[in-house]
Amino acid sequence: MCSTEATVLHADLDAFYASVEQRDHPHLRGRPTAVGRGVILAASYEARAMGVRTAMNGAAARRLCPGLLTVDPRMEAYSEASRQVFQIFDDTTPLVEPISIDEAFLDVSGLGRLVGTPESIATRLRSRVANEVGLAISVGVARTKFLAKVASGVCKPDGLLVVEPEKELHFLHPLPVRSLWGVGVKTAEKLNEKGLTTVGQVAGLDESVLVSILGPSAGRHLHALSHNQDPRRVVTGKRRSSIGSQQALRNRPRSLTEVKAILLELVDRVTHRLRDGNRVGRTATLRFRFGDFSRDTRSHTFHEATASTATFLDVAQSLLEERESEIRQRRLTLLGFTINNLSPADAVQQALPFETRSSPLLDSAVDTVRGRYGLSSIGRATLVGQEPGVRVPLLPDVDR
Amino acid sequence: MKFRCERDVLVETLGTAGRAVSTRSGLPGLSGVQVELVGDQFTVTGSDLDLTITTTIEVSGESDGKAVIPARLAADIVKALSPGAVELSTEDDTLRISAGRSDFSIRLITSDEFPKITDIDAKPVELDAEQLAHALKQVVLAASSDDSRPILTGVLLAAEGDSLRLVATDSYRLAMKDIDGIELLSEGEQVLVPSRALGELHRILANGKSITLRLGEKEASFTVEGVTLTTRLIEGDFPNYRGLVPDHHPNTLTVNRTALLDALRRVKLMAPQEGTPVRIEMNEHGMELVAVTADVGTAREVVESSYVGEDLVVAFNPRFLLEGLEVAPGDDVTLLTTDELKPALIKSVGFDNYLYLLMPVRVS
Repeated sequence: MCSTEATVLHADLDAFYASVEQRDHPHLRGRPTAVGRGVILAASYEARAMGVRTAMNGAAARRLCPGLLTVDPRMEAYSEASRQVFQIFDDTTPLVEPISIDEAFLDVSGLGRLVGTPESIATRLRSRVANEVGLAISVGVARTKFLAKVASGVCKPDGLLVVEPEKELHFLHPLPVRSLWGVGVKTAEKLNEKGLTTVGQVAGLDESVLVSILGPSAGRHLHALSHNQDPRRVVTGKRRSSIGSQQALRNRPRSLTEVKAILLELVDRVTHRLRDGNRVGRTATLRFRFGDFSRDTRSHTFHEATASTATFLDVAQSLLEERESEIRQRRLTLLGFTINNLSPADAVQQALPFETRSSPLLDSAVDTVRGRYGLSSIGRATLVGQEPGVRVPLLPDVDR
Repeated sequence: MKFRCERDVLVETLGTAGRAVSTRSGLPGLSGVQVELVGDQFTVTGSDLDLTITTTIEVSGESDGKAVIPARLAADIVKALSPGAVELSTEDDTLRISAGRSDFSIRLITSDEFPKITDIDAKPVELDAEQLAHALKQVVLAASSDDSRPILTGVLLAAEGDSLRLVATDSYRLAMKDIDGIELLSEGEQVLVPSRALGELHRILANGKSITLRLGEKEASFTVEGVTLTTRLIEGDFPNYRGLVPDHHPNTLTVNRTALLDALRRVKLMAPQEGTPVRIEMNEHGMELVAVTADVGTAREVVESSYVGEDLVVAFNPRFLLEGLEVAPGDDVTLLTTDELKPALIKSVGFDNYLYLLMPVRVS
């Protein structure tokens, strides 16, 4: 269970993509900056102050913030920065649980006598990230993962907040219900309708009352969180359960052929990463977001795990075709492809070679070329001449 | 419609036709079976549009008629009645089922929602039921149940010389059987029959000695002793399986089939998780089966055998290996291999009409 001391750190890079751009381009520093021109992928704090938000359409963002500077995303630079920061995490403690490309939980229990208090560890971590990578990182320190994450959110940007065990509820209860992990817009609405706006008010209710408002699972979950009961430990070396990539699209009509080309690139990239990590997967999931912000997913599970680009492409394309009419009518603004149900590729059932194009030899030849000359050195002929898309790497995949 | 019939006969009839009824269909008409009485002939038809099963029995008819009745409910009621005679009758929109002191009235389903079943206009061909049942058992297991690859959910029927060839593959293994002396299709002609239909066919083949097959352009029908199963054919091209079966293998292992099966079932205990392979180590002394699950343990068993070829270790999914060996004919089998990654072939010594091709598991 959780320790009696605040030893869980939640470290979260501030406005990650935008901060990397401001670091590398001095003229952007101190000015409202957004990454992504068609769709805003990330906004600096200066831009956020003017109301610019992630996933906002570029034109809308410029209306809110006329001086907004936009830059094209450089995913490789973000991946490299992320790698450096995770290196510092790993230097700090062996117990690191990555959440995404720009955040992680660190458990520093047991390090106390050796290297100092959690607070001093967090301070050193922040200054190392600032000096060695050139980025600001906010760190929340608490007894539980949930509270550490709330704390890092509260102290952003470039902050450090330690929630001492005896002050936990004092810290937590004035916060709005949305701070509770698992409370989205809809749940918050339900709670607000009952006059519940703060965590403290939720904590004041009996579990049975919460269950009657939200149902058994959410009710019990929020009851526990509002009393800061979160038994989840920091899990290291948790093998990623999925690998995926998604692409934001400008809000305009697209033909199925065009969307298929985008899908091809996503599948190509994700299966490459799958093989690169020596893994195979059984489930393919497509994520759609439409112009009206509605979302949808479609997935298929194979009988046998595979890492074959052609196999995943086949099923991804048929999942896409099932959604053809929606894509035409509702305008696709995001397409994501994820492979779940991963397992190590140490025992892989081979498939009969009756589709010559699905030859594992082709996949491994492509992988070898990319390993030597870079990702863009070899690609699909179908994609030649396509507008380069904006790819959002997720590390590991998180449901969004 | 009104007639009397023995409960057990009616249970079987409703059950057989009911197997074609879809449980998931959104169409209310498809959750029913169509019943029709003409004289003493009582016919029940169930269909999910892809598969239709029609069964006809002899009853004591009183008045002719036709209706669509809820398949599950009617079958459950008849099954629960006390043994003996059952009377079925329809009046307006109600079906009445009575036996002894039991009396049920259930609402009929609107009959215009039931699909129109048409007969296949094709020359009937007679096949030996037992021979076909045996072939189906050997082949259908290799078909895929993955609907995302519809072609692989079918079993290929093709003319091969004066034989009928059956082939199925789920892309990991392939089973092929030639039934000699049957000229069903002309040379080069082939059809793809859904394996689900052939699985159902296998169940009803036990009832008869002879089966009548009709092959239409888009459908095929099989008739055994009053039961007719009609299935839609799968459209599309079956993978080119001929190129997959290598005609030359450098390595040949010969082993008693039962001995290998027994050893495999034992060793498989150490590969309980789907996906954990079993290795076959082959050298001049014969073969050894090995299964290893990390943190659990190891199983090894030497199986008496003879081997000609290079020293080789090949890993297989034990389930695929078992399924192929279980249905292979004869006492002895050969396992023909090229290397640890190329397709391996299981053949029965003395039987040229069956083969089972199996892809290895790549172990790193």
